[in-house]
Amino acid sequence: MEKQKGNGKVGAVLVVGGGIGGIQAALDLAESGYYVYLLEKSPSIGGVMAQLDKTFPTNDCSMCILSPKLVEAGRHLNIQLITNAELEEVSGEEGNFRVKILKKPRYVDIDKCTGCGLCAQSDFSNLKEKEEELWVDRIVVDEASCIQCGECTEACLEENKENHAMTNIALERRKFIELPPEQRGERETETLAQKVALMDEESRNNFWQRELSRCIKCFGCRDACPVWIYDGAELEDPDWIKPGEIPPAVPLFQIIRAYRIANLCVNCGMCEEACPMDIPLRTIHQLMWRQSPESVFEVIPGLDRKTKQKLIKRVKENPMVKVETAR
Amino acid sequence: MNCDFVLTVCPFCGCGCQLYLEVMDGELMGVLPCKTDEMSEGKPCIKGRNAADFISHPDRLKSPLVKRKGKFELTSWKEALDIVSSQLSKIKEKHGPDSVGVLSSAKCTNEENFLLMKFARAVIGTNNVDHCARLCHASTVVGLVKAFGSGAMTNSVPEIEGTDCIFVIGSNTMEQHPLISLRVLRAKERGAPLIVADPRRTPLVDFADIYLQHRPGTDVALINGLMHVIVRDGLEDKKFIRERTEGFEELEKKIKEYPPEKVSRVTGVDAATLEKAARFYGEAEKASILYAMGITQHTTGTENVLSVANLAMLTGNVGRESTGVNPLRGQNNVQGACDMGALPDVYSGYQRVNDKEARARFEKAWGVGLPQKPGLTVTEMTDAAINGSLKAMYIMGENPALSDPDINHLKKALSSLDFLVVQDIFLSEAAQFAHVVLPACSFAEKEGTFTATDRRVQRVRKAIEPIGDSKPDWIIVSELARRMGGTQFNYTSPGEIMKEIASLTPSYAGISHERLDNGKVLAWPCLSAEHPGTRFLHSNAFTRGRGQFFAIDYKEPAELPDKEYPFLLTTGRLMFQYHTGTMTRRIPALERELPTGFIEINRKDAKKLSISQGERIRVKSRRGEIEIQAFITDGILPGVVFIPFHFAECAANVLTSRNVDPEAKIPEFKVCAVKIYKDDKHG
Repeated sequence: MEKQKGNGKVGAVLVVGGGIGGIQAALDLAESGYYVYLLEKSPSIGGVMAQLDKTFPTNDCSMCILSPKLVEAGRHLNIQLITNAELEEVSGEEGNFRVKILKKPRYVDIDKCTGCGLCAQSDFSNLKEKEEELWVDRIVVDEASCIQCGECTEACLEENKENHAMTNIALERRKFIELPPEQRGERETETLAQKVALMDEESRNNFWQRELSRCIKCFGCRDACPVWIYDGAELEDPDWIKPGEIPPAVPLFQIIRAYRIANLCVNCGMCEEACPMDIPLRTIHQLMWRQSPESVFEVIPGLDRKTKQKLIKRVKENPMVKVETAR
Repeated sequence: MNCDFVLTVCPFCGCGCQLYLEVMDGELMGVLPCKTDEMSEGKPCIKGRNAADFISHPDRLKSPLVKRKGKFELTSWKEALDIVSSQLSKIKEKHGPDSVGVLSSAKCTNEENFLLMKFARAVIGTNNVDHCARLCHASTVVGLVKAFGSGAMTNSVPEIEGTDCIFVIGSNTMEQHPLISLRVLRAKERGAPLIVADPRRTPLVDFADIYLQHRPGTDVALINGLMHVIVRDGLEDKKFIRERTEGFEELEKKIKEYPPEKVSRVTGVDAATLEKAARFYGEAEKASILYAMGITQHTTGTENVLSVANLAMLTGNVGRESTGVNPLRGQNNVQGACDMGALPDVYSGYQRVNDKEARARFEKAWGVGLPQKPGLTVTEMTDAAINGSLKAMYIMGENPALSDPDINHLKKALSSLDFLVVQDIFLSEAAQFAHVVLPACSFAEKEGTFTATDRRVQRVRKAIEPIGDSKPDWIIVSELARRMGGTQFNYTSPGEIMKEIASLTPSYAGISHERLDNGKVLAWPCLSAEHPGTRFLHSNAFTRGRGQFFAIDYKEPAELPDKEYPFLLTTGRLMFQYHTGTMTRRIPALERELPTGFIEINRKDAKKLSISQGERIRVKSRRGEIEIQAFITDGILPGVVFIPFHFAECAANVLTSRNVDPEAKIPEFKVCAVKIYKDDKHG
């Protein structure tokens, strides 16, 4: 924005976080004449409010409150949305800040995307609820879930020939991973979640064994979790987890914790940030993002069948958290 | 409704993580991690997360207590302080000032330690002031001063991430200093080899490239063996030895006598493993040593520390970033309490009491004559109380009745005193013996500073008003000092005390409360108001000029197993409790994890004695006997047993010996002989 004459201050505001709070703040500011940049980490604004059923004190459904605001924020002339981006640096002073924003890749050119949805239908897209995803008019490749198969790019190329929207990064990455390690050179490596998704069962087992045995049982991952509503006691029950033991049963402790929030997790990463041992907890949830809790046990192998059945039985008898579907 | 977040420092281990205390309408709600803190990065451990839970515990002392006819009665502050001041004055007049002993506290702030030190020296007139550093790192202070000239961690904690080889000896880092072990694991992730030497298999061992399981008390032999290999293979830093150190010739001769085969016989460590460890350490560009109680708590504690210093200087791993000799201090402010001169032989900043110039400076500032003979240490005070030369003690925030060796002996000492004052937040085991108990404030109710293990000075802030009638320690001590004729005790805030500390202590000269606002930290030496603090010591020259090598021979521990007492007992701490448990045993989340103690015993030994898992057994030493449940494991050597010392109901220190290091006077907590048997009544 132009600097206002005289005082050197800028008439624009950056709102960090596009949840309901951020949206409301952006709307209020925009209405009072400021130009607002609304920054959001995930591909779309809205945050977690939509996952609530009722809201206090009127018992309105949360979407009834949220959706008009989403539309308004999206269309307001004074609001510019910057999604799929994160704040890296802030400098300057009150009235005149400079910020550095990291825009994450979408792997899709949204100006060219026609919203055909064929990419989401491709066989290896790893999406459980394909039909639900069809309405998507602009698609984003979720880095965490992408297993680099490249099928989506091929589908897009086939449909749109000359003017395809999917960038060929996904395809290139797949080729890159297929190269023997010594030929990969200094190229960009995959994210941790992608690496884990590509591991075979044994190395995946070893990976989790190594990572999770660092746990010092501080309960930070649970305490920091914004969706941990279950007041249940498996983690504090001597039948499940032996008290006073470090590391606590690997991987049972983390499986129980992950299971309890399976379909509530908003992938905020607070658990990982709170971990004093740098365990990549977020990766577990990134993998769970698209997989049912049952398959989480395949994601983290090493649990014997007996314990697995015991765990599933216990959770089903205690349906504080529904287990039928993920998300 | 009034909600506030108060930035303060965790009251448990020496890591010194900054935390926010959540306060709502004057009531403490909980702890919030501080993400901008360099130490914790917003990732405190379980103790830090629950640090607020003991503060409002119903057991808190809310008013002064006086013992009449063997029972505690509530009393007023005026009466309690009158009794304390008149009794102490009477004993001082009748038996001389040296008949009074003062114990300061590594849990209290720097200001309070300085004030109690001043009270002991200027008002009572004795150098008999000490604190629990005697029981943990006294040998570090003595040893590293002899070798380097400064008895503190040489490097800062975040630097550990950048090191090329980490050697951890005698430290259960993962359980006792979780945030330091995070740095160790990050360095390992970068590819730095991790060497762990410990008689007990600690959680960190699972991540070690090399694990040296040596017999307790053979540290000198182990380190001499490492140095032998380093010199034999020409991995020593010749330039560093020539330019920065002295006394190498004697050391070279001495370590020739320790070939790996001989060391292997003494320590029980395989010679090939030893050679591999020596090569890892010797070849690393930047190598860092971390050590703790496993090195210091021996009758050869000072010699162990000197050996560690030898090893670091031999390879030139001192005075550079990410290297160094890093003693991990146990208590949140044990470094500060030492810096503040709560030790019998030094004033603040390690200025010796028998140095004329230093004494003159303090005499001038305080306007009184000061005693010049170094006073008694904690361990010596116990003996002096029993033989009658020590008549009264003033204990601030310590629980020697669980932490000191040979508790039965110590309890005898406490009960033979004519007058005992304990100033604490709970009625601890030691306070039961007191004639007067003064209720003090916890860390959340007062202002001040703590000094973390890597010499970082940080602000502690008041979050809530004092509970009940309790008062901050600095107010209690200065009121008492005024009653006993102290003239310069008119402080209005701890900030003023810090000004006095800065004016008398060169290494703290640039530190003030204002500079520590908003979570800023300063690591001493900080020599002037503009000085940015010091991240690592000895960068161009050692504090004493040149580093000193000491040729050291391996000596056996004072009490080894024999026919009658066939097991070697070593003691230590666990993740979920803290020291004598005065605070942690009142935190439900921690107590649930670890409600009572146990004895770790090797599977083979257990089989021989037909002990089963969880069975209650009796452990006896020459000094006492306890009953405790067995925990059978492969993580400990056959013939060695381990008991954590947190628990009053099965206190390891009933068994430990009073043998002390001749120089540092630190007791040998890590080695003593015991026997184990099953009691038929409980069998």
